[in-house]
Amino acid sequence: MANYFNTLPLREQLAQLAKCRFMYSSEFADGVDALKGKKMVVIGCGAQGLNQGLNLRDSGLDVSYALRPEAIEQKRQSWKNASENGFVVGTYEELIPTADVVLNLTPDKQHSSVVTAVMPLMKEGACLSYSHGFNIVEEGMKVREDLTVIMVAPKCPGSEVRAEYVRGFGVPTLIAVHEANDPKGEGLALAKAYAVGTGGHKAGVLMSSFIAEVKSDLMGEQTILCGMLQTGSILCFNKMIEEGVEPGYASKLIQYGWENITEALKYGGVTNMLDRLSNPAKIKAFDLAEELKEIMRPLYNKHQDDIMSGHFSHTMMEDWANDDANLHKWRAETAETDFEKTPAGNVEITEQEYFDNGILMVAMVKAGVELAFETMTAAGIIAESAYYESLHETPLIANTIARKKLYEMNATISDTAEYGCYLYNHACVPLLADFMKGIKSDVIGKGLDVDDNGVDNARLIEVNDALRAHPVEAVGAVLRGHMADMKKII
Amino acid sequence: MEPSSRLERIQLNKATISFDDRFTLSEIDWIIEPHQHWVITGTNGAGKSALAAALAGVGKIEAGTVQGLPKNVGLVSFEAQAELIAKELKKDDADIMDVISLGTPVSEMIFEQCQDPELASDLVEKFGLTKLLDRAFRKLSTGETRKVMLIRALSSKPDLLILDEPFDGLDVDTLAMLQAHLASIIDTVPMVLVLNRFDEMPDFITHVAYLDKDRSDKERLEKKRGDKKRGDSGRLAFTVERQDEAAFNELYQLLHLKTTDLSVPEADPATKLPALDPSQPLVKLKQATIQYGDTVIVDKLDWTIEQGQHWQLSGPNGSGKTGVLSLITGDHPQCYTNDIFVFGFQRGNGESIWQIKQFIGYVSTALQWEYRVSTSCKNVIISGFYDSIGVYTKSTDHQKKIADQWLELLGMQERSDQPFNKLSYGDQRLLLIARAMVKHPPLLILDEPCLGLDDMNRQLVLALIEKICAGKETTVLYVNHHTEDKIKEIDNHLALEKNH
Repeated sequence: MANYFNTLPLREQLAQLAKCRFMYSSEFADGVDALKGKKMVVIGCGAQGLNQGLNLRDSGLDVSYALRPEAIEQKRQSWKNASENGFVVGTYEELIPTADVVLNLTPDKQHSSVVTAVMPLMKEGACLSYSHGFNIVEEGMKVREDLTVIMVAPKCPGSEVRAEYVRGFGVPTLIAVHEANDPKGEGLALAKAYAVGTGGHKAGVLMSSFIAEVKSDLMGEQTILCGMLQTGSILCFNKMIEEGVEPGYASKLIQYGWENITEALKYGGVTNMLDRLSNPAKIKAFDLAEELKEIMRPLYNKHQDDIMSGHFSHTMMEDWANDDANLHKWRAETAETDFEKTPAGNVEITEQEYFDNGILMVAMVKAGVELAFETMTAAGIIAESAYYESLHETPLIANTIARKKLYEMNATISDTAEYGCYLYNHACVPLLADFMKGIKSDVIGKGLDVDDNGVDNARLIEVNDALRAHPVEAVGAVLRGHMADMKKII
Repeated sequence: MEPSSRLERIQLNKATISFDDRFTLSEIDWIIEPHQHWVITGTNGAGKSALAAALAGVGKIEAGTVQGLPKNVGLVSFEAQAELIAKELKKDDADIMDVISLGTPVSEMIFEQCQDPELASDLVEKFGLTKLLDRAFRKLSTGETRKVMLIRALSSKPDLLILDEPFDGLDVDTLAMLQAHLASIIDTVPMVLVLNRFDEMPDFITHVAYLDKDRSDKERLEKKRGDKKRGDSGRLAFTVERQDEAAFNELYQLLHLKTTDLSVPEADPATKLPALDPSQPLVKLKQATIQYGDTVIVDKLDWTIEQGQHWQLSGPNGSGKTGVLSLITGDHPQCYTNDIFVFGFQRGNGESIWQIKQFIGYVSTALQWEYRVSTSCKNVIISGFYDSIGVYTKSTDHQKKIADQWLELLGMQERSDQPFNKLSYGDQRLLLIARAMVKHPPLLILDEPCLGLDDMNRQLVLALIEKICAGKETTVLYVNHHTEDKIKEIDNHLALEKNH
């Protein structure tokens, strides 16, 4: 199989990368009609598979689960998940031929074998649905021409997909149609109905393309979302220990610090995150971020280039073929870092203190978000996609670190994201070694040691203008506005 | 000023006091310490005046003990007023001579046995009775006789002052004057005031006693004694210290619910529910079974709920009560593997859970735990229109208005914009009941609505439920353990047993 993206002419590549649009509520007026009475068969009954299935069934749709014979015979967890929830469970042979829509909700690395197994069993003109485009775009899976191929990707863990639905809401969802496989032109209608069935239309739906989803998703997760937070955690923790900060305090400042500072990011972008700092601290964070951006830009470019060329997916698939040797090794190494092994101390840290004593963390988030956004848009990814895959998702990942540090983050994200995260981390830690030599506890751990908060007027105006003028702030303001319209009216 | 050392502690110990077989105060436990000032309040007919009168030695002690009642009690009440007037009229009747009796003049009524003539004169002037001193007491208006009664009581140097609705019928100026006077004597005499309205409560009040009708006790007594003639009875439901602000606010709300005659706000005509076929039951479970692996929680249950048929569901923990409810509400995944008919839908035929939920109002402790979104009280009520936790749809002005009416019914209009999660547990529960009722659902499911609530909040919730049950359009399904939390309209009972 050849990398699909690389088979397209540049014109088409650019056109696909530029797809991303926030859809209006009125576009979902038909509800689940396009799927009414159709038979939906889910493959995989993990967190996404089970919870999406529960939602779809509660929306009045016909859902059953196809599992491998071993899973059924040995009554594995996936079999229990499906059958205890009252779903019909059967083998591929039993269920796939009856399916109007097959929902492939297995992990990325199983896609090739799963799709290869189900495709011959699917009936003429049926629909195959993905929640991630890696298999199509990077692995170049060729799907039978009569089949419609769509993507519906709720942008949250499976448990939240269910919890939000039960509350009467949903989670933001990305949909796409694989244009090479839309023989009847019904792909969009099916994807919209699917998004309604999971409740996604209430929280906001982005219409994208398989290519834009894959290329922006990979870039975001490797760099700012997971990679930067992992590298930042390790470097900041080690620096604090070196500077004599109490280890329990240092561990807590980092574990909960990302969540606290990116909460400000979520509400008001990079500008608001820096506005939470005192004026001298803001200028300090700004300068640090500028320095970091200059040092890290080649690394961000390399990640984006490798993603675009297919080099990244190629090397990762080699590791898949090698029983994930690298992934497992790097996962074990992460568990052994001092940050991971030092429990958060029983000390009170106020919300503001996370900013005041975490100036370097703020600078790292700013540098990472802006660099990822700049690199993505320079590579032809539309600003909306770039925003979602950089700034928008950072708080979600930060929440996982707050729950159980890097272990939880890497357990929650996909293997693909985890693999990319380690790649980034291995390059970024040495890259920042010199920079970190100049760092003291005033910017990480203890806060600025200043007599008063005076700053130079001209410099402050310069910094504030630069913050507000960054393109991620402009697109962010618009999209946050849309989301707020649809979001919890609180 | 003289300290009120004359009064010792008054103590009622399981005192049951009857009043001419008309009314019984049952098993009152109450202690009034010197220096305390009490308000007695409660529902109509709960025995507020009776309890006040009991402190003046009125009534017959049937059981228990009453200790420390003072000898000299100043009592002002409608009953005492009526008695005094009756006595005056009797004097007139008794006058067999053919002379027009003028009756006792006001001056005599006030000064004859007066302990503090100086104060009495002062009060006569302040109350504006100077010109009426020579008039016959029985010629006075109700308000004027009330003033005379007040002056008599206040100037009698009482050991205990009992004022039963003293502010009723007084004009604004007199009211202010009386309140000021009472405030000036708080160090000399302990006071017990009977008040129906909380907002009339003077600042010096330190404690509140809340009385309620004692329905269950009455039934019990009737059964035991076979005595059909016994009248109503009341009990001291609880006492609240003024300093305990939270409890005090709850009491205010309770009184509001119990004493105001508000009806349940209308449904929203714009979001009217689809009509149900009146000949069909609301719910029909056939051989319903819930099973996890080999463990059977609910085993082949047949249950039909007809429209207008209130049910109580009970059973020990683990008997599957909540499971059965969630089969009905569609929250249990096994509702798709059972034979369930609800609101015209045979489950598992392409209906969505929102089509089911629109017919149900639901309140449970679990819902309260899940309701953790930070939203305002008003939005919590509005979310009932959408069966959602939080509001995700723009609500109409009309819906907002209905929400306001509910807040008013709950006595919470001032707290409309306050965050729900900052409310007391009991207030949250009340709001969730209003949320469940806002759309006037054909079925209201109350899953242990009093669980985790203290006595006062339980009273509050039950008061609200009774208001709802009195309406006709909602069938109530009530789940609970406590047999004392009874709703009078419910007479169908399903008891589940533990199967495993």
